[in-house]
Amino acid sequence: MVSKIKKKILSFQDTIFNLQKYWSKKGCVILQPYDLEVGAGTFHPATTLRSLGPKPWKTAYVQPSRRPTDGRYGDNPNRLQHYYQFQVLIKPSPKEIKKMYLNSLSSIGINHEEHDIRFVEDDWESPTLGAAGLGWEVWCDGMEVTQFTYFQQMAGVECKPVSVEITYGLERLCMFIQNKKSVFDLIWNDEEITYKDVFHQSEKEFSAYNFEYANTDNLFKIFEMLEEETKLLVEKKISLPAYDQCLKCSHVFNILDARGVISVAQRAEYIARIRELTKSIGKVWIESQS
Amino acid sequence: MSELFVELFSEEIPARLQINARNELKKNIKNFFIDNQIKFNENFNVYSTPNRLVLHVDKIPNEIKLSSEEIKGPNVNAPEKALEGFIRSNNTKLEKIFKKNTEKGEFYFLNKESRKIKVSDLLEKNLSEILKKIAWNKSMKWANYDLYWGRPLKSILAIFNKKPLNFDFNHINSSNKTFIDKSLEENIKIFNDFHSYLKFFKQKGILIDQDLRKKIIQNMINEIINKKNLKIEQNDRLIDEIVNIVEKPAVIVCDFDKKFLNIPSEILITTMQSHQKYLPTFDKKNNLTNNFFVVSDIKDTKGFVKSGNERVIEARLSDAEFFWEKNKTQNLVKQVDKLKNINYFKGLGSYFDKIQRMRKLSSLISDDFLISKDKIEIASSICKVDLMSDLVGEFPELQGIVGGHFARFQGFDKEVCLAVSEQYLPNGMESKLPKKMYSVALSLSDKLDSLVGFFGINLKPTSSKDPYAIRRMAISLVRLIVENEIKIKLKDLIVYTCSVYRDQGYEFDTKKIQNELSDFIIERLKNYLKEKKIRQDIIESSTFLLGLDDILKAYKKSLCLNKNIKKEIGFETIAAYKRSSNILNTEEKMSTESLGFADPGLFKNDYEKKLYKKINDIRKYFLSIGKDENYEESLKILSSINNEVNDFFDNVIVNDEDIIIKKNRLELLNMLCKTFDNYFNFSKIEA
Repeated sequence: MVSKIKKKILSFQDTIFNLQKYWSKKGCVILQPYDLEVGAGTFHPATTLRSLGPKPWKTAYVQPSRRPTDGRYGDNPNRLQHYYQFQVLIKPSPKEIKKMYLNSLSSIGINHEEHDIRFVEDDWESPTLGAAGLGWEVWCDGMEVTQFTYFQQMAGVECKPVSVEITYGLERLCMFIQNKKSVFDLIWNDEEITYKDVFHQSEKEFSAYNFEYANTDNLFKIFEMLEEETKLLVEKKISLPAYDQCLKCSHVFNILDARGVISVAQRAEYIARIRELTKSIGKVWIESQS
Repeated sequence: MSELFVELFSEEIPARLQINARNELKKNIKNFFIDNQIKFNENFNVYSTPNRLVLHVDKIPNEIKLSSEEIKGPNVNAPEKALEGFIRSNNTKLEKIFKKNTEKGEFYFLNKESRKIKVSDLLEKNLSEILKKIAWNKSMKWANYDLYWGRPLKSILAIFNKKPLNFDFNHINSSNKTFIDKSLEENIKIFNDFHSYLKFFKQKGILIDQDLRKKIIQNMINEIINKKNLKIEQNDRLIDEIVNIVEKPAVIVCDFDKKFLNIPSEILITTMQSHQKYLPTFDKKNNLTNNFFVVSDIKDTKGFVKSGNERVIEARLSDAEFFWEKNKTQNLVKQVDKLKNINYFKGLGSYFDKIQRMRKLSSLISDDFLISKDKIEIASSICKVDLMSDLVGEFPELQGIVGGHFARFQGFDKEVCLAVSEQYLPNGMESKLPKKMYSVALSLSDKLDSLVGFFGINLKPTSSKDPYAIRRMAISLVRLIVENEIKIKLKDLIVYTCSVYRDQGYEFDTKKIQNELSDFIIERLKNYLKEKKIRQDIIESSTFLLGLDDILKAYKKSLCLNKNIKKEIGFETIAAYKRSSNILNTEEKMSTESLGFADPGLFKNDYEKKLYKKINDIRKYFLSIGKDENYEESLKILSSINNEVNDFFDNVIVNDEDIIIKKNRLELLNMLCKTFDNYFNFSKIEA
């Protein structure tokens, strides 16, 4: 297997396939991306909500992640406002998770005996999710390729049992594997289609939208509407649709943030509002689990 | 004599937590030996790598002898179960129990004969508790377990006298085995003593002892810098972190493209140090070079580690370069207006509003500082523009510094550039302090504006919460004033700041802010003095009834008194004061009925006259302008009264039969104390 990988460059999509196959063999439910704009794989309800409550759960999926402020009009070789994460969530965290993770790297051609693999302290916190965890960012020869986190709290609730979350930054990982300096030079498939072919226009146009054209007056109103809707759905005790509205809130907030119309203090206030929504949804979800 | 050897194997524990856990474990085990009166080698050590926390104590006896003792049991009237429990827990029989009367009634007792206890038994019984006592700065849970540890704990190896100790620590059973590969945790090996353990890992290139690791890393670095004629910056924090994130260190020399050296060096250094934990290097003239060191945890046999790290820094620096090139040409003055779109704080307006206030404030300060009004106004106007730059977005810790570089590039006056660079300094107790007056003026006006603003909208820190780091702001303000010896009317400045806010339409309660902020700043001054190791009683008296305008004075006097209190001049001054004030304190009426002076016509002897003269000399001294600035000289003068005071008390009886004479003598002592109080409130000083 390893020798075969070395012969040809592992393409972006093959990297995803290999990871999916690997985690599928470890018993994970392979899901598809969530169909809403989210900032990270963690926001997928398969992680946020499923990490709550006592039921065991194993999943892995790709999640397109949107970070409007990180847009660079496709000019920067390392920054994207839309990128992919490969996310693994296992509850409870298995004893051999580190071994499983290192072997997953082998499955995409990174042998831990040849590279300086480091587990560097990185305690994770998501103020909007009311979540916190302890763990590391994993460095491979100085490059951060993965976030590795033991959830301690989610939606303001203590996690019991504790889930472990592994998040691979797919672009970074592939740049490392393919030895590319620019994300746009990544080979997407065996037909030599590049990342640029697939996403450059999108980066350019979305950067313009996020930074210049998004109608902030409307977005402020939309935020209020979505917030209200979320609260209503929480009252009706339907957690998943409520969570959808909350995710939309979060994305609207991110665009407003990118447009630079939210001050530091306002930021804290908006984040607190989203967190309150998440917490109330978490409660409803946990009730539905028992 | 035996050794205790424990290894706690876990997933990677962060550097700080390791250091903390080592200290905690050391302390706990030491207490255990002492509490149980077991001899041990006090020079023992606790070691760690990211995955292994290792304890090794030797010269421990195998047995200890406990002398006979009488153990008190339950009261004879207690329920029978209590007695049963007592018998069970002491592993004895009913025949051995006897009754005895005590002050509190009749109790059951047991006579435990002197006996020998195996230390291994004691350890097995107590180790779990000792481990549980480790107070982690930050700890976590994992899987279904209830145990808290720095990171998931996988196994415990525990050996005493070459034999395994068996105990349970939560869900983990101790043994004589450990994992020898930290990565996959597939290979297990038995160890029966510390020496063979160390030797085994050393052969694999793994250094368990952090001090040895540090030495070896430093040696490797020194060898390279000597050969290459380079220098590195002394950075203990970074080195200590690096030492604790590797077990098998290898120093790899890497370099980046020289073109990046055109970017301001702070940006390069921050990228290397705080983001990547690299060690930047400098040439003999202290200029940053394009060589940097990576401390790898693996031998780079295939060159992957070097090329990987070089690619990472290249990417990071390209990013920084892109922003630097873009931002440096963006005209600072033209951007000032855009600050209107950036909120400073809810209720305190935009950054544009803030710099308008800072401009007025620094302009007023410039009169006191004798610096150019124009220049400080320019500095105030442009100082926050860098907050809108991509570079500060990327490197928030370089706010101000980056702005200074923009200003320099755009040809602003040297002092203006420096002031912009240093506007956030100092940032707390340890931080660098600006010395140039323009920098001090800008920093001062920034902090004053923030403090008044936050107090104005009632966002004062509480005892447990200070989310906006307002305490640090105030401590920094105190440092700016006392360490630069600035004479400034802080009270007026606060009032003025309130009025500047009012001009912008913010109605604050000036009186309230003035009082609250005053107390707050003086509290910080007290903390500051405490940090400077000033005696608590000196702090209390120097800040008692202190006006905000006098914090420099209070600081200098405290420093002076603290330095001299054990010396002759301090000692004698306090002795003279205390002798006088003690008498006054017993005469309660004195304070209310005092005239404030003694009548020389009523003096009966020379001792009174001499003391009176001396007091007046001192008063004259304090009246002469500027004299009270030389605090040590003043203290000397105060102490010189000690002879007259001693003569007075040795030869004069204050408590004269004639009430008028008595009162006059008390007045004389009161004069003395009042004179001393001018200098310092000695009444709170403990003799």
